[in-house]
Order: sequence, then C-alpha cells, then structure tokens
Amino acid sequence: MSTSSDPTTTNATTASRQEMAVVLPANLHARPAGQLARAAAGFTSALQLEYAERTVNPTGVLAVMGLGATAGSTVTVRAEGHDAAEAVTALAEILATAE
Amino acid sequence: MSASVGIVLVSHSAELAAGLRLLVEQIGSDTVPLATAGGTEDGRIGTSYDLVLAAIRSVDRGGGVVVLPDLGSSVLTARTVMDDHPRPDVLLVDAPFVEGAVAAVVTAASGADMKTVADAAREARHVHKL
Repeated sequence: MSTSSDPTTTNATTASRQEMAVVLPANLHARPAGQLARAAAGFTSALQLEYAERTVNPTGVLAVMGLGATAGSTVTVRAEGHDAAEAVTALAEILATAE
Repeated sequence: MSASVGIVLVSHSAELAAGLRLLVEQIGSDTVPLATAGGTEDGRIGTSYDLVLAAIRSVDRGGGVVVLPDLGSSVLTARTVMDDHPRPDVLLVDAPFVEGAVAAVVTAASGADMKTVADAAREARHVHKL
C-alpha cells in the first residue's frame, strides 16, 4: 500500500480518533468515490475526508468526486468513534488502491 | 437488513436512461433494484405512462421506490401514474437527473431507507462538481 500513514490515537474510553494520510495512486474519480461512499456508510464513527484544505463527509459520493483530488496528491482520512480504527483502515485502503 | 429501496429513472430518451443506468451501476452498485422508463413504447422520444408504471412495479421489493424524472413531461407522466396509483412508499423526487441517480443508488446500496435515499438525491443539487 503506497500510503504515508500516520495514525494518531487519542484513546480516552472506547471511542477513539484516528487519522491517516494517503497519497493517491490515481485520480479520485467516480468509481473509487462510489466505493468509498458505500464503505463509509458501514461505520458509526464520524468520518471526514480532507483534501487541499477542504473537508467533506466520505459518505457523500458527489462531494468526494467534487474534491477533484488528483494522482500524487495527499488525502487525509479522519474518524472519531467506536469503529474509528477500522473505518480509517478501510477507507485508506480504498484510496490507496484506487485505479 | 430491510428490503432495498428501488430506483426508477424516467427519461424522454431510452438511450439516456440506459446510459445513466450503466453509469450508476459502475459508480454505485449493480445490486440495487433499478429500472428505466425511457422514451415511448414505440421507441420515440417521449414518455410512457405504461413504461413508468411497469418500471415502478419491477423494482418494488417492499422497501419503497424512488422515482427520478429527467425533466418536463417525465415529471408530468410520473405524477399522473402516481396520482392514479397513490402509495406512501413510492416517491417522485426533485433532483438533478445524473447526480441524483448516482447519489440515490450509492445510498440505497448501503442499505438506507427510502427517505434517506430520496434526501441523498435531493441534496445532489447542492453539491458542487468543481
């Protein structure tokens, strides 16, 4: 996985905050955006996707596409909640393997 | 998980509806019940009451149906069908055709209920593509 991962955990109780930066191997176009949105809907944690100082909710396929994130750029995935670690791992994996 | 919401794409053009269907199946999912009602029954540009009614029935899995019209008489025809066959679990939704269909299918694929799917399609109007 061609990620520059930097997980930071602030584990107070069972909920945690996770963050991971991913360098995109390809443009974040329609298909990976759709994959990302469907995967994101399966988690209960609050999710954020940040690119070029813009933040969107990854469950919104159109908002993700609207970021216009291009190959070689860095996208940061953030999650806060009980399944934050799983969410960040799953979403980062989709971003890192996008074609 | 409850039954999937069905999606109906109503267009003046069979090709437009079929093309949009291919697109949303690629971006979203090919497992969401989806039907097109495009053009007239004899293949011309226009809309067909019977095709819309058949499309709604074909995607009804019990989780509700969201109907997305392209414009103009697609709206009128769909509205007539729904006036004649009023059901609380079939919604005609005001949304951009392409963006609304993508958002609706992705949302339905994640197991969302009819209201959530309809809201996702409506909100597509407010998402910037640039």
